[in-house]
Amino acid sequence: MNKEASLSIAERDFILNALREDVRLDGRQADQFRPLTVSFGEEHGHVKVQLGKTSLVVRISSEVAKPRDDRPFDGVFTIALELTAMGSPAWENGRQGDLETYVINVLDRVVRHSNALDTESLCILKGVSCWNIRADVHITDYDGNLIDASCIGIMAGLQHFRRPDAVVKDGQVIVYGLDERVPVALNITHKPLSVTFHTFDEGKRVILDATRKEEQASEADVVIGLNNAGDVCYLSKFSGSPVDAMVFVNKSSVALEKVKQINGIIDKALQTDLAKRAKSGMAEESRAENDREIH
Amino acid sequence: MVGPTATLTPLSRADGSASYRCPSTGSNILGSVNAPVELPARRDALRPEDATVEVFVKPGTAPGGVGERYIENVIKNMLAKLILGREKGYARRGVVITLATIGGESVGRGDSYLTLLPALIHTALLALLSAAVPLSMTFSATVLAVNASGEITREPSEKEAAAATSLHALAFSSKGHLLLNESQGAFDFDTWEKVHARALAICHGTLTRTSDGDVAMAEDVDGQPLEGTVRETVEDKLHQDYAWKTDAP
Repeated sequence: MNKEASLSIAERDFILNALREDVRLDGRQADQFRPLTVSFGEEHGHVKVQLGKTSLVVRISSEVAKPRDDRPFDGVFTIALELTAMGSPAWENGRQGDLETYVINVLDRVVRHSNALDTESLCILKGVSCWNIRADVHITDYDGNLIDASCIGIMAGLQHFRRPDAVVKDGQVIVYGLDERVPVALNITHKPLSVTFHTFDEGKRVILDATRKEEQASEADVVIGLNNAGDVCYLSKFSGSPVDAMVFVNKSSVALEKVKQINGIIDKALQTDLAKRAKSGMAEESRAENDREIH
Repeated sequence: MVGPTATLTPLSRADGSASYRCPSTGSNILGSVNAPVELPARRDALRPEDATVEVFVKPGTAPGGVGERYIENVIKNMLAKLILGREKGYARRGVVITLATIGGESVGRGDSYLTLLPALIHTALLALLSAAVPLSMTFSATVLAVNASGEITREPSEKEAAAATSLHALAFSSKGHLLLNESQGAFDFDTWEKVHARALAICHGTLTRTSDGDVAMAEDVDGQPLEGTVRETVEDKLHQDYAWKTDAP
């Protein structure tokens, strides 16, 4: 199992022939994302992403842990994604499929290895304690383009999350509760996002943000990960038939435009959420006075 | 007492789904049911005439562990008795129930799932109803904490649960029969009897049985009985779904 039921030949041909006439099943342009909504839950770092019919929930959490022995100055950041039968009946609970390993690998490379979250800022006391930041991705509905949707969710979550404040006093680590001290935002160095393209018709047709059916009918996929400044931090042509080099060149500029656009959507959602929180009287989080030291 | 809130069929891919928000713990559970589905052949060797029920509990912000596997077993044993696995099309097939904590407090690593158990099984029930899986009965469940002075707290918060001497999760069928009884901590029979009576009142209100065996439900100190909440959620959804038919002139 762990594989979606394959398309019928007629369906595959239909998608392909429509693409040859520049028509997609849902009437989108080749370089157009599905409608994207990013919304935040009550707690910090709780994000809901809806991209067309694909939807997922990302939860960011933090805990104090011991840093790894070879990196005493670094905190730990992990991305956990588990495909369950909730997202698609084809996925089996508790068993890792190819898609899962692939998506985790891409997310790791785009978000974690590009150092989007500055792990050095997570260090509390060298070699003794650091913050362990965990991003859990729950796929609730799967209709293609898991990579981009998860990437959007994780990046939005990291920007939305606030960890408890921690200080070191006389070699002792003191962690303040969320109601004792203003929680601290994570240190984000840049905002990378991935953009996935799929190729059809011997590489002649390239589309963006494929749905599940389009993914199944495609020949190959190309993932480009880059940030607002246009720095490419991930480029992959994982499997399938060969893709012309010009596709990479042409599509990187398309990807940059999309990344800027999506980051704009995320920023807007973050600001609306912040305004809502300020209005609902979070006195503790918005106060400006200094903490008093009582001895 | 504010009752739980639930939505039926929020997901599009799964056969049936429900989202459930428990007011006391603040947990938000999303459940999905896929049934009947094909399972790899090895699993149906033992009972070829029956459906296999599978439950998967996914914690919100931690990797799954022993606690999840244990509570999965408890839920599975209970639901397997309610699901009519011998109905047409269900034999040798699987009923896959997935429950994920997608909001609110998660159970800590190695902590007890008892406080979350009613929310989990309510979500599973609503998801099963949404997937139109044949069931022999519906149920409602609650969790009660007893502290050192013998006071009973309904659906305790995390703090209250930690301070309690014993915790009891009970589920009752729609006819008021005890379906599930999970307890932890030290307690005596008298305490359990009291807990049982209180739980029955929470789930079913003050019972008044009519001559034909129907149970009439009434409100009391605990607000609307839970059985009614579950029923109303389904009724509301049905009302919405059949609006085209009922509202037509």
